[in-house]
Amino acid sequence: MTLLQGRRVLLVEDESLVAMLAEDMLMELGCEVLVAMRLDKALVQARTGEFDAAVLDVNLGDARSYPIADVLFERCLPFLFATGYGVEGVEAAYRGVPVLQKPYQRAPMAHLLQRLLTCEEPARKGADPHAGLTCACQGPVPASAPTFRADIAT
Amino acid sequence: MPQSRQPLQSSALAAASLATLRRGDQLFETERRLNAVLNNASVSIFLMDDRQHCIYMNRAAEQLTGYTLAEVLARDCPLHDIVHHTYPDGRPFPLAECAIDRAFPQNNHERGEEVFVHADGHFYPVGFTASPIRDDSANIIGTIIEVLDISEEKAAAERQRLLLNELNHRVKNTLATVQSIAAQTFRGQADQAARSVFDARMVALSTAHNVLVADNWESASLRSVVERALAPHLLAELDVNRFRVEGPDARLHPKVAVTLSMALHELMTNAAKYGALSVPEGRVSILWSLAAMDDGRQQLDLVWEEQGGPEVAEPTRKGFGSRLIERQLPLEFDGSAEIDYRSAGVVCGLKIPLVTLGWMGQDVIERQAAL
Repeated sequence: MTLLQGRRVLLVEDESLVAMLAEDMLMELGCEVLVAMRLDKALVQARTGEFDAAVLDVNLGDARSYPIADVLFERCLPFLFATGYGVEGVEAAYRGVPVLQKPYQRAPMAHLLQRLLTCEEPARKGADPHAGLTCACQGPVPASAPTFRADIAT
Repeated sequence: MPQSRQPLQSSALAAASLATLRRGDQLFETERRLNAVLNNASVSIFLMDDRQHCIYMNRAAEQLTGYTLAEVLARDCPLHDIVHHTYPDGRPFPLAECAIDRAFPQNNHERGEEVFVHADGHFYPVGFTASPIRDDSANIIGTIIEVLDISEEKAAAERQRLLLNELNHRVKNTLATVQSIAAQTFRGQADQAARSVFDARMVALSTAHNVLVADNWESASLRSVVERALAPHLLAELDVNRFRVEGPDARLHPKVAVTLSMALHELMTNAAKYGALSVPEGRVSILWSLAAMDDGRQQLDLVWEEQGGPEVAEPTRKGFGSRLIERQLPLEFDGSAEIDYRSAGVVCGLKIPLVTLGWMGQDVIERQAAL
């Protein structure tokens, strides 16, 4: 637990009651928590906020949190997705990102956050989920990186 | 064919068609085009004369009914007696009772739904549009009827109804299950006061979902949300004058409905325990208005005000209720909320921009896409 002590975590979760639960859990793990519940506010936090890791609920009402994930990829900030639908609930291009199964539980949350913070190689967009964690920070993000907009219904 | 005024025949045109060979070529070409259009249309088209006999049907109509045009013409009877002669329950369906054929439509595009009988005997639901055909002196001489098989739509609507019922059932059942698990888990361990607070919150959550169920999960009536949140207390109190509830109704996004219900529940609970509802003479008013915002949305401005209760002191510790109202509610809806512990009674002001019905965050994404 000491590893998480004092770490700042951005929590993006759109349901008030669920956000309260996740925030309490993170605080009990020793984290300082920034909470955003709306896509627009979360995007501002993701671009300019100071934090060590992020927990993104995939479904924000009817919007998805992928635009926030894209910003975090650019900033090379580690994050995980939280969803009740498991890995299947995440768009293919984002399958390299660790997934926390909802409902939120303390032990899996602590485990995944510790891995995120100790792992030197954060996930990269479009990474093969079976190839292990790879790092975008070791080189510039390739210009050919897919500009996948999963948030826009076609 | 018996003598009848037929909408496809025009004596003037018939005479003209004989006038020149060139005219004849044009007519032939026109008929070929019309047949191509009619026989490739996916909607069934029937042309009826003034005796309700079908004198023309396109290919889609032949496939729909299971009869060829030749067969229908040979029967020499009203179309109703061929495709619409029996009610789905097996009773005979006389022409006089038929909404399509009983009378000529007075207006263009009269619409309705009926159940037809196929040549093989099975029933199928159809949507029809009937329009009158008039002669040169505006007398109605026939009817053109467009018919669509709506079996798929009916089946889809039925599936949706079943899904909604299942959803309603599951949500309520899951909440009841959570309540039961909590009861079993904390039996003899947690204090009973905490248990009853938990149970009351589960009931409030369940009640909020009842309001959504009533409107197929699309939206909820603001007035219903407020009234349901007060309901247990309204029933418990003989003097309903303790509550003043006033404001225009509005449609709430399901998320707003649930969080607002929970917020009102917390205010009610606090009032019943420490505030105006803890004494017989206490009163609560819940007044709201809707104001247009600069961006075209509406803002709900709701004030909860307690009077006549014991003197109020600012609580030393902020609990679930004040956290939900003062912190989460503004974060979730980009609004503001304030609880003022005035000594004369608690006043809580909520300002919530109402989300356009549709999906949440849609406006944000659309703005981004436009950049």
